[in-house]
This record gives sequence, structure tokens and C-alpha cells, in this order.
Amino acid sequence: MNSISHMHFPRIFILLVFILSFSCKEHNTKAQQELPIPNVEVENVSLDYAEGFSITVNESFKVLTINNAWPDSDKTFTYALVDRDMLPKITINKDEFDGIIATPVQKIVVTSTTHIPALELLEVEQSLIGFPGTDYISSEKTRVQIDNGSVRELGKIEGINTEVLLELQPELIVTFGVDGTNKSLATIETSGIPILYNGDWVEKSPLAKAEWIKFFGALYNKQQQADAIFNEIKTNYEDAKNLASKVDQKPTVLCGAMYKDIWYLPSGTSPEAQFLKDANVNYLWSETTGKGSLALSFEAVFEKGKNADLWLSPSYYTSLDAIKKANSHYTQFEAFKNKQVYSFANTTGATGGVLYYELGTARPDLVLKDMIKICHPELLGDYNLTFFENME
Amino acid sequence: MTIKNTSVLVILSAILIVCFFMNISLGSVSIPVSHVISAVFGTSDHESWQYIIVDYRLPKAITAILVGSGLGISGLMMQTLFRNPLAGPFVLGISSGASLGVALVILGSGLFGGVFAGVLISKWSIVIAASLGSFLVLLAVLLISAKVRDTMAILIIGLMFGSITAAIVSVLSYFSSAEQLQQYIFWGFGSLGNLSWDELWIFFGIYALGLLFAIASLKALDTFLLGENYAKSLGLNIKQSRLIIILATSLLAGSITAFAGPIAFIGLAIPHLTRQLFDTSSHRILLPAVFLIGAIVMLICDSIAQLPTSDYMLPINAITSLIGAPVVVWLLVKQRKMIF
Repeated sequence: MNSISHMHFPRIFILLVFILSFSCKEHNTKAQQELPIPNVEVENVSLDYAEGFSITVNESFKVLTINNAWPDSDKTFTYALVDRDMLPKITINKDEFDGIIATPVQKIVVTSTTHIPALELLEVEQSLIGFPGTDYISSEKTRVQIDNGSVRELGKIEGINTEVLLELQPELIVTFGVDGTNKSLATIETSGIPILYNGDWVEKSPLAKAEWIKFFGALYNKQQQADAIFNEIKTNYEDAKNLASKVDQKPTVLCGAMYKDIWYLPSGTSPEAQFLKDANVNYLWSETTGKGSLALSFEAVFEKGKNADLWLSPSYYTSLDAIKKANSHYTQFEAFKNKQVYSFANTTGATGGVLYYELGTARPDLVLKDMIKICHPELLGDYNLTFFENME
Repeated sequence: MTIKNTSVLVILSAILIVCFFMNISLGSVSIPVSHVISAVFGTSDHESWQYIIVDYRLPKAITAILVGSGLGISGLMMQTLFRNPLAGPFVLGISSGASLGVALVILGSGLFGGVFAGVLISKWSIVIAASLGSFLVLLAVLLISAKVRDTMAILIIGLMFGSITAAIVSVLSYFSSAEQLQQYIFWGFGSLGNLSWDELWIFFGIYALGLLFAIASLKALDTFLLGENYAKSLGLNIKQSRLIIILATSLLAGSITAFAGPIAFIGLAIPHLTRQLFDTSSHRILLPAVFLIGAIVMLICDSIAQLPTSDYMLPINAITSLIGAPVVVWLLVKQRKMIF
């Protein structure tokens, strides 16, 4: 009947959380100061949180190493990032690297909406020439490019349109592998276009995920800018966290929803739970461990979460009515009765993409502020929710 | 009705009652037996336990009984009708039809754009789609079976429906979002604990109708064991009996698939387990026996899936396949001549 075993659950989830990306709404990005950037920097890029990649610099080029492209990956990918004007002057042993990339990149294809905000923050979104599933992209800046035809539709990520991609001839493709290399890109790889596996989603904490902007910074020779942007996000995050930590009242929080009669919610070690912890709330499953989601029985969740003050991200439901229609058990929860249910599913872009899936990775500071605003309304008085909304 | 067979049936009934109580007493939340009993009578003073027992575990246990017995009975009828030990309730393409209906509802929006996009995918729309899907496939099978004389041809046509469905579903999935795929995949895992009392009553109504048709076919089923030509010489109206048997199967298997999803292997394995226990080929005994064993096995599978005392849970299909698949393998290895 069904060949998908229970073991694949976390994977399915990772895949989903990951592939699902829609979006919309404008977001403010502070205009970054353009700094003069020397052709080759002589210092390695320092990373505070991210563990999945590293950038080292030798006398004539940078080496980008990706060592955790997917969960439990034992493959290491290395790429030589060479300045455009240096390229004719040096010789590089091709066999040592998985790809040689001329920087700054002029033509790029990315395959996840989570990569879009990084390009925009670095002000290089003009280099994007193709994307699979453009409807998922919500950022207005990039949508303009899609609408005027400068970003080509490449079909679906699982079955990317090889012909269009070959015709586009991007200098590189930034993608992600859920549990290994992406088979649909095999032909592209043999054609000589480097494929970089972005592992931001494998990182264990929200800030580590956001730090992958430095990976894009290296591709565009914009390290300082990437550092500055990340530091600002980090500072915002820490400030918000400090603000929340001073509150004594911790509301209890329930998350997720049921598929059939199994309730999926983030484990206590997940990045989502990290947000809740940093927002200084009492997530009822904060003590649990494990990769991916917890799959719990209805009765266990009911017993523990019946009286929770708040219910965050009830799966894909977009209204209280939809929740009620899906399963009458939901109406028994106090958070449902008191209309204390918050979801990011309604904040979507012009073509239906959920903004949270696009921008949430790059801007953990905004996600945290959303949670603080929801759980401690007295703080952050003038802040308007970016992703979440109180469900009607 | 030999004394031995009767006593085995009585013992099985007792086991069923024990399993039923075991099933509603076991779960992720440990509820003392005294509370379980008082909750059933609506007098428990512990609000959330009362709700868990009456509104979650009881409907789930009853669903398990309906699903196990219904699939077992339709499997038995199909194996007899097709004289094929590997036939099950879904050979007619019933579950394929249901899957297609559900796929159209859940995945259709990807292909048909705005038509379904605004439609709320509630449990009812899935149930209705699954019922409609299996009903339409069944209608096709019935029309064909009126034309085709050979029962084997119907079997092959059912399998073809399965292939066509699989093809359409894969095209649909290509055009649907990961979210929709996820919903569809989860429907495929099957689930027992997803019905409210209202839904359960409707389920039970359709099930009871199917059971009546099955009981009405007892004599015909016994005759079919002798082969179609011989049955005809005994004066059995082959086409009409075949129609009633197929109708009974589709009501049982169709409603089960609509409400609980496609539950794997139970319909195939239960009749074989039953034949090991009873030295008879009379459906008068086999049918109640399959009812009891199917219900017992399903209750046990559900209890295992609940992983009592742990908060975690396994999908029911994983458990039924783990139990059912070895039975089928063992059958093939044993190559014992089936009594048909």
C-alpha cells in the first residue's frame, strides 16, 4: 500500500519544511553601507555559530568548504572561489575541487526560497536568473524580476527542467540535498556547472542558519557586508532575547497539529524550540530530544496541552473554522476556546508563498520578536508581527 | 457446526471482549482501570481522562473492530469468489478508486489551479471523495462483470484499475505542493483514531449494510468453492450472486477505506489465519470466525501502534504490514494446497 516507512518521517518533514516556501509582504532592510572591498582578503572568514561550512583564504583564491550539506552527511565539498581578474593568471588543479567559481558571481540559480533573502540583503538579487517554483517566492523585489522575465521558471525542485537550465548557463547552482545529492541535477553537474549544497537548514540554531549569509557573501566578494548584516541580526536577536528574559510570567505553549491522529510538534532540541526558549516561554515539550519532529498520540498531547495558554503554528490551517472542521478534538483545547491560536500560514505573498518559509531562516530576529510579541504582549509595544497572526 | 468449531468461536468471542477492554485501557496516557470504567459510564471526575476515553479511545476501538472484521470478511469473500489465495478486499480496485478520489481532492488543486484551491479539505470531503471513487470503480467493475463471464477477467480488470490510478496519482503529485503530498501520504498511512461519534455512526450504517449482503451470500459462497460450472449445475444464479458478493465487498472495503484510509494486509492475511484454526470450508463458520479474528488482530495492532505508556505513536499501516506480510510470505513458502 505504502512504501514510506516510519523512519522517513523526520525526512519528510525536513523536506517539507524546506521545500515549502511561499511568501509576500514587504520587509525593511536597512540600506547597507557599501564598503570598498579589496580583491582578495587575507583573513579567513570567522563564523560564530554555523558549523556546516567554512571559508579559508590562500594567497590567490578562497576555498569554500561545505561539510554538512545534509543531515549526517559524510561528504565534504570544496570549491575554489577565484576573483574574475585573477582567473587567467593562476592555474588551479581542477581535480582538487568540486568546482571552480569566478567571483563575484554574475549569473546564479538558487532552488530554495530561503536563499532569496540573502541575495536581497547583499543587494545582488539581480544576478538571479532562474528558480524552480517561482510562485513560492514572495519578496516583492524578486517578484518584480520574475514578472519582467529576468528570472526563469525551472519547474519543480524534484524534477528541475534540465533543458531550460542548460540553456540559461548559470555560473553555479545553489541547492540543497535532503539526504544526498539531488538526482535531478546530475546532468547539469556533468555539463560542468558547479552545484553547491547549501546546508543552512541542517544547522542546529536559528542564528547558525542565518549566518549562511556569509556563504553568499563569499560568492559575491561581499564578506564585510555579510558580516555587518549578520552582526546586526545577531544584535537584534540578543537584545530581544535579553528583553524577554526579564519577564517572570511564562505562558505555556502548545505547537503543531495532527495528521490523522498523530500529532507532530518540534522536539525540544529543534531550532523552533530554541526560539521558544529564547522568547522565555514554557514550551510543554522543551525537555524532549530528537531529530525532526515528535510524533505523539493525540491523548498524550491532550493530557499535557489541554490547558496551554497559547497554540502556535497549527500546521497548515488558515482559520479556526478549518481547524474545527478538520478534527473536533481540537476544540477541546483551552487555547482554541480562548482564540489564542497563532499561525504564519496566512502571511503569504502575491502568488501564495508563505513568507515564514522564505524569510524565517535569514531573519531569526524577526521570528523571535514575533514570538515575544505574542507571548509577552506588554514588551515590544510598537512592533508589528512579521510572520504570525492571531487566527480568526 | 461441530462442537470443536463452536467452542473455538466462543473462546474467540471472549478474547475479543478482553482485547476490547485492553485496547481502551492502554494508551499513551496511563489511566487507572477504575477511571477507565467510570469514564465509560460518564462518571469520571477527571475531565481530560473522561474525554480521552469516551471521545478518543472508544471510537478508536470500535473503528478497529469494524475495520478488522470488515476487511477480513471482504478478503474471505474475494478469495472464495476468485478462488485465489492472494485475493484481498482491494483486488477489485476499490482502494485504488478511493485513493484516486482522495488524490483528486487533495492534490487536484495543483493541477486544476483555483478550482479546488479555495475548497477546504475537511474530513468529509475526503470521505466523500473516497466513497465516490470506490463506488465509480465498482460500478465499472459491475458493468464489466455483467458482460464478462470469467471471474478471472474481473480480477485482472481490478488490477488494471490499480495501475491506472497509480499513474494518475503520480501525475497529480508532480503538480502538487509538498504540503498536499504530505496530506495524501498521511492519508495512505491509515488511521483509526480520527473519527468522531457522528462519523462513526455513518460508517457503521454502511458497514452494517455490507455485512447483511455478506450474510445473505453465505450459501452462494459455499457453492462457489466448487467452481463456477458446478455451481451453475446446482442451479445457482452466478451473475446475481457474484453481484451481491462484489457489492458487499465494496460497501465494506469502500467505507473502511473512506473512513480509515487504506489499511494494508489485514484483508489478505486474516482469512488465511482463520483457515489454520478451523478445519472447515463452510462460510457459516468461517465468516463469524473471520469477523472475530479480524477484530481481535486489529485491536491488538492498534494497541501496539499506540506504544502504551510512551507518548510516541506508529502509523497503523506499519503494524498491520509487519503482521500481515510475514503471513503472506509464509503462505507462499508453504505452498500448501489451499482448500477452495
